[in-house]
Amino acid sequence: MGQVLEFVNIYKAFPGVQALQDVSFRADGGKVTALMGENGAGKSTLLKILSGDLRPDRGHVSFNGEVKHFMSPHQSLNSGISVIYQERQLINSMNVMENIFLEDMPGNKLGIINRSELKRRTQEIIDAFGLPIRPTDIVGNLSVAHQQMVEIMKAYRRDSAVIAFDEPTAPLTDKEITILFKLIRQLREQGRIILYVSHRIAEIFQITDEIVVLKDGRLVRTFNTPETTERELVRAMVGRDIGDTYANLKRNDKIGEALLEVKNLVTDYVHDVSFTLRRGEILGFAGLIGAGRTEVARAIFGVDPVHSGEIKLEGETVRFKSPRDAIARGIMLCPEDRKEQGLILQRSIRDNVTMPVLSQLRKGIFLDRKSETALAKEAVRKYSIRTPSVEMQVMQLSGGNQQKTILGRWTSEKIETKILILDEPTKGIDVGTKAEVYQMICDFAKQGIGVIFISSELTEVLNVSDNIIVMHNGHITGRVSRAEATEENVLEMAMRI
Amino acid sequence: MRAVFSQFIKSKTFTLIVLLVVVVVFFQVTSPGSSFLSPANIKNILDSMVIYILFAIGSGMLIISGYIDLSPGFIGVFAGIMVGSLLGNGIPWYISAVLTIAAGALFGLFNAFLVDVLRIQAFIATLATGSFIAKGIAMIITDGKVLNITDPTIVWIGTGKLPGGIPVAIVISLVLIIVFGIILAKTKFGRTIYLCGGNVTAAKFAGLNPRKLTYILFAINGALGALAGVIYSGRMLIANFTSTSNYTFPAITAAILGGISFGGGSGGMLGCFLGLLIINSFNNGLTLLGVTPYWQSVFSGVLLLLALTFDYISIRNRMRIKPAKVH
Repeated sequence: MGQVLEFVNIYKAFPGVQALQDVSFRADGGKVTALMGENGAGKSTLLKILSGDLRPDRGHVSFNGEVKHFMSPHQSLNSGISVIYQERQLINSMNVMENIFLEDMPGNKLGIINRSELKRRTQEIIDAFGLPIRPTDIVGNLSVAHQQMVEIMKAYRRDSAVIAFDEPTAPLTDKEITILFKLIRQLREQGRIILYVSHRIAEIFQITDEIVVLKDGRLVRTFNTPETTERELVRAMVGRDIGDTYANLKRNDKIGEALLEVKNLVTDYVHDVSFTLRRGEILGFAGLIGAGRTEVARAIFGVDPVHSGEIKLEGETVRFKSPRDAIARGIMLCPEDRKEQGLILQRSIRDNVTMPVLSQLRKGIFLDRKSETALAKEAVRKYSIRTPSVEMQVMQLSGGNQQKTILGRWTSEKIETKILILDEPTKGIDVGTKAEVYQMICDFAKQGIGVIFISSELTEVLNVSDNIIVMHNGHITGRVSRAEATEENVLEMAMRI
Repeated sequence: MRAVFSQFIKSKTFTLIVLLVVVVVFFQVTSPGSSFLSPANIKNILDSMVIYILFAIGSGMLIISGYIDLSPGFIGVFAGIMVGSLLGNGIPWYISAVLTIAAGALFGLFNAFLVDVLRIQAFIATLATGSFIAKGIAMIITDGKVLNITDPTIVWIGTGKLPGGIPVAIVISLVLIIVFGIILAKTKFGRTIYLCGGNVTAAKFAGLNPRKLTYILFAINGALGALAGVIYSGRMLIANFTSTSNYTFPAITAAILGGISFGGGSGGMLGCFLGLLIINSFNNGLTLLGVTPYWQSVFSGVLLLLALTFDYISIRNRMRIKPAKVH
């Protein structure tokens, strides 16, 4: 079809940040063009401009030579553009055929829907892709992978010439990813323009033809996929050579005596969990989502009630009724959902960092602004948090910087941390910052802190931890050391009933 | 220095001060004999604000922390009746007053219990506590009869003046709003209110105690409501069943005008005070001009809409895109 999509000199700014600066590139039909970059590089903003959710401050999008100014998502859709986001945009209570033909139901002049026609045409599309879905399946009951396919079929029904995917493989299993890629290749053969935004480098090499790398709102380079390497891509995204992230870690080699002993812990969500965490040890918790790792953390931290079992801190039996109790004894948690549970988004970095130690930052009965600011500035410096000021609202920070703010809270000089529980600390964080976080974790261990590192990303939990506990369905199903662990055996334990 | 000034211009406080100045200038010019800014009239304005201030303090802090309390007005009604009954039975004024205020605090604790343990929505819970329970008990105590307040000290609190001519009630309310304003802005307790109001889960996970805070704030509001009721009865020389009940809503409205938002986590006592000052000055000015109370309602409504529009525009300007600083 020879279609071309072009972004021409796009500028977009938000309060305090220039999200896109003079970005220009083209994506051709019959190709899958990847969009890569660290968090905050501008990928999502670009997609939102494409889908009509945002308007650029300067510059424009042009499709087949025609300049397009999308004033609304509606206009973007009508121009043949479909963006498939990470969050589903379907109506869960309706079925597949109703969702696919949502804006365009076949019917008669009175507006009455012709259901048999609806079903027939939906089945045609399903067959075109060879999918195991029925037109009458209720979307809410489908797996995430199948829901995603419904979205793709929607785009197909609209005959969208441009289809953009935003991190599509995050919720999918390997088998489902294979099917997704098959679909994408089909769409590509049809001459459509495919945009693919993802952090997963392995997949980029599998499915894409061209790669556009953004950094800090600017276009850095474009690559021809077959002609580049992972190392080169990462260097372009991050601006420096990451090298072998794990091999370069400066680890702690002094693991001390037992710090935390958990014996036969039982809560509403975990059954008979026992383990020991030693001083200076990084204890990884691997497993699939829902394995019960976060629930173990919550039990230790005093959030969930403990039904039976014993927790001993430095040899002394403890029973925490609230996070306050746990914090008082030196146990700190960086929660899995950092925005909902870890931070107060509308408050400043300073407020978020000083929260647990306000009593110590006073002059008389009043809070001492100067000591607060000093504490926050120290956290910003220590973790290289990128911000013009400690008064910046944390909601304006990128995911990585938000995570660092929480870490700053727990490691200031006013607080004595014995145990640090990190629950999915690198979720939604870019490659460069991840490497920083891994080193930070090792540094904590070097200071004698016991680290519990919960992560669903197998590679990182295997390579950073000293020892790994594997959980499934609320039980511990395996324990291995870093030396013994392989992705295969850990995965096996993670899936065992 | 320049940065501080330009930030001040964009702040809510500035908007309120501008609005206040506009209102004051307008009425000073139009009022007969320029009586608007006469000492007597200023006293009138502040006098009319006393009850509202007391309600705005407690309710304002609660709204910041994420709750709403509709009971202070009714607790005030109860307080008037209670203090009247106690005084009527010969109990000295200071014991009567303290017991009454303590009772107000108890109502507050009860509110907190409903909200925290029984998980009832604050709107419903406090309305129930106030309009049914507090008012109901008041009626039971007096068997439906109105009480006379004759105790000289209580009457003095309501109507008396300190040396220099400033009414006691005004002093009490101003002192309280200043004290709480300082607490809110500069102490750990005040900061905790903002933090818990911003995100109660994150606050809990960071070691704060939102639960304890809830009980304390509701108790304070109850106590302030009771204090307002005592002052009101002293001023009116009677305790009846409506007394302060209609004061809650305007107080909350003024607090919101002053920048306290229902989303929780923003606003302060200064804003509350300015909001109340604007509304009460406005109503006072209209009275001086001979406008009937019915038209006053209309004008007040329009003023409120203008203020909120002005606020919206200034927020929108604040969000206007600025070229970012490059690191």
